Amino acid sequence: MNSGERVTFTKSLMLLPMLIILAMFFISVFTLFSSAFVDRGGFSLKYFQQIIDRPDYHVVFYRTVLSSITVAILAVLFSYPIALLLWRANKWRNLLLIVVLVPWLVSLVVRTYGWIVLLGPKGFINAFLGWLGVVDEPVKLMFNDTGIIIGLTHVLVPFAVISILSSLLSIEENLEEASRVLGASGFQTFRNIVLPLSLPGVFTALMVLYLASVGAIVTPLLLGGITEKFVGSQIYQEVMATYNMSKAAAWSICLLSLSFVSLVIIKLIERRALRGQE
Amino acid sequence: MTTTLNQSVSDVQNVTGSIDIASVSKSYGDTEVLSNVNLNIPAGNFLTLLGPSGCGKTTLLRLIAGFIEPSKGKIAIDGRDMNGVPTQKRPIGMVFQNLALFPHFSVAENVAYGLKLRKTPAAEMQQRVDRFIDLVGLSGMGDRRIAQLSGGQKQRVALARSLVLEPSILLLDEPLSALDMQLRKQLQIALKDIQQKLKTTFVFVTHDQEEATMISDTVVVMSNGHVQQVGAPQDIYASPETLFVSKFIGELNEIPARVTDTGPHLSIDTAAGQFTLPASAARGFAPRTGDAAVICLRPEQLKVLPTGANVAGQTMLDARVVSRLVIGPLTRVSLRVGETDMIAVMMTDADTAPLPSGSACKVSFNPDHARLFAPLSDDMASAFGEHA
Ligand SMILES: Nc1ncnc2c1ncn2[C@@H]1O[C@H](COP(=O)(O)OP(=O)(O)OP(=O)(O)O)[C@@H](O)[C@H]1O
Ligand SMILES: [Mg+2]
Repeated sequence: MNSGERVTFTKSLMLLPMLIILAMFFISVFTLFSSAFVDRGGFSLKYFQQIIDRPDYHVVFYRTVLSSITVAILAVLFSYPIALLLWRANKWRNLLLIVVLVPWLVSLVVRTYGWIVLLGPKGFINAFLGWLGVVDEPVKLMFNDTGIIIGLTHVLVPFAVISILSSLLSIEENLEEASRVLGASGFQTFRNIVLPLSLPGVFTALMVLYLASVGAIVTPLLLGGITEKFVGSQIYQEVMATYNMSKAAAWSICLLSLSFVSLVIIKLIERRALRGQE
Repeated sequence: MTTTLNQSVSDVQNVTGSIDIASVSKSYGDTEVLSNVNLNIPAGNFLTLLGPSGCGKTTLLRLIAGFIEPSKGKIAIDGRDMNGVPTQKRPIGMVFQNLALFPHFSVAENVAYGLKLRKTPAAEMQQRVDRFIDLVGLSGMGDRRIAQLSGGQKQRVALARSLVLEPSILLLDEPLSALDMQLRKQLQIALKDIQQKLKTTFVFVTHDQEEATMISDTVVVMSNGHVQQVGAPQDIYASPETLFVSKFIGELNEIPARVTDTGPHLSIDTAAGQFTLPASAARGFAPRTGDAAVICLRPEQLKVLPTGANVAGQTMLDARVVSRLVIGPLTRVSLRVGETDMIAVMMTDADTAPLPSGSACKVSFNPDHARLFAPLSDDMASAFGEHA
């Protein structure tokens, strides 16, 4: 056996895990499609019809999309100053980054319960407001969109921080100094140089956050309750509560198409905003 | 290029732009990267900082620009203490070593940036931007993106971006290093022209001592954060104060030597023979008997003679011709003198009876031309290790 053949053999061995993953992906997509489009052995749009016919389901879609847009924008607005701070903090950057990422060490469910403790009708915030006498009845912070948005934003901020920070870090050194020496103030330098050059990171963050939020399950389930559903929590319910796999599959395909369309739209906006930057 | 220049530069005579650097030191943690630097740069001076990599040239520019503050000492511009004055309020421009062009702007937008911040009217701005883009030889490239430029083109955008504002002080950190010889010569002349027309103070950093001697009024030789010598290029060449400076400016022959007597004359022992030098040959140190030293001679101070020759008043050493190289009007002769390789340079037409390679010869020099220095300290020698 010559060495050339041996290399090819080793290479094909290395391909194996990838093939397995690909196979699993295609099998699951195939299963998904076959259960969504097939009824009693034939092609059918019955399960999609069931979704389209129900106005309350439309609300689930609107809620998912609108809340996700809000979450993505809110999280980016929160994250930008944090990313700026980390960018400036040369020495302490890694330490601060750990602080930002610490929440990831705690399970999502536990963190979401944390929000229940804070936001619930008998939670800290309402107790405090009540004690101040600002409100007579508990403010509804949970089991509605507000709760979901707060919870998701909190969960997703670290992603946005990392994405924005990485594009800030890729700004060539001295650009700010060059702007200053040409006569720009600190703020002008930020507006003309730093902000435009960090936009790729902002758009990546918006996209990742929006997609993560559109597909979220646990947070909407825990903070939205049974009434305020996201597409994700709806699918979860179809699978776990009503065992309607075909309908769950139809929901999933709707979610997939929704994400895909949104992705295209975000990319188009990004292309426009970053025109001239390569 | 000169005609464009005449149109591009306004007639306003600038008399501001003097820089006074008084006892300035800069430390990062425990390491002092600049030690007690004193420099008075008159307005309109073309001053060049010359020194090996890491000697603190960029740091000095950054202090003048106000990106960093001195750990000790003061910097004043036009007599005004700059302590606490932010960069954008200082009357300076800077061309960065890494250029620092704005990648999201086109060439023209880069050049226009400073004018925009100054709220220059659109028509005037357009005109000045075009003029300076032409000046640096980038006509028609205004719409290019920075990523579409070559290294040399980028350097010229960086120059135009600073020059267009006509600052009274311009700091240039190796602005010509990426250019080929011809363009480099062209821009050296253009820079010198602009500098003289506008009476701008230039603080120019270069590694290239030829460039430094060619375009500067004043050269500052630095090493390890210290200013070694300040002076006009020809003065530094003719009377360097230390071995470091002699090595750095111009070509140099060095003969390791030992001082055997300090009598009225200095008696010197070298591998090439023993001879005496006048006491005034010693520079920057007082030689004692037994001291190690280095004798320095410029290539044009050596004469190559046949073995039998003897010229009164000249020091004669036995040597051997290694090779001969004729470069137009100049002839360079490589010699082996004792254990040292040396170079002699003469006018080609004065070299009437060239000795063949390999033949024995005498090398002679006027003892009054020789300079005797203390050997380089280790840290300075290492600077040359990188630079040789
Ligand atoms: N921010 C900093 N922190 C610590 N040390 C620094 C810093 N900036 C520069 N130095 C050190 O100061 C010394 C001088 O640096 P500087 O950039 O001024 O050198 P230079 O003369 O411009 O060299 P070159 O010719 O290679 O550009 C170097 O040893 C460098 O490592
Ligand atoms: Mg430098």
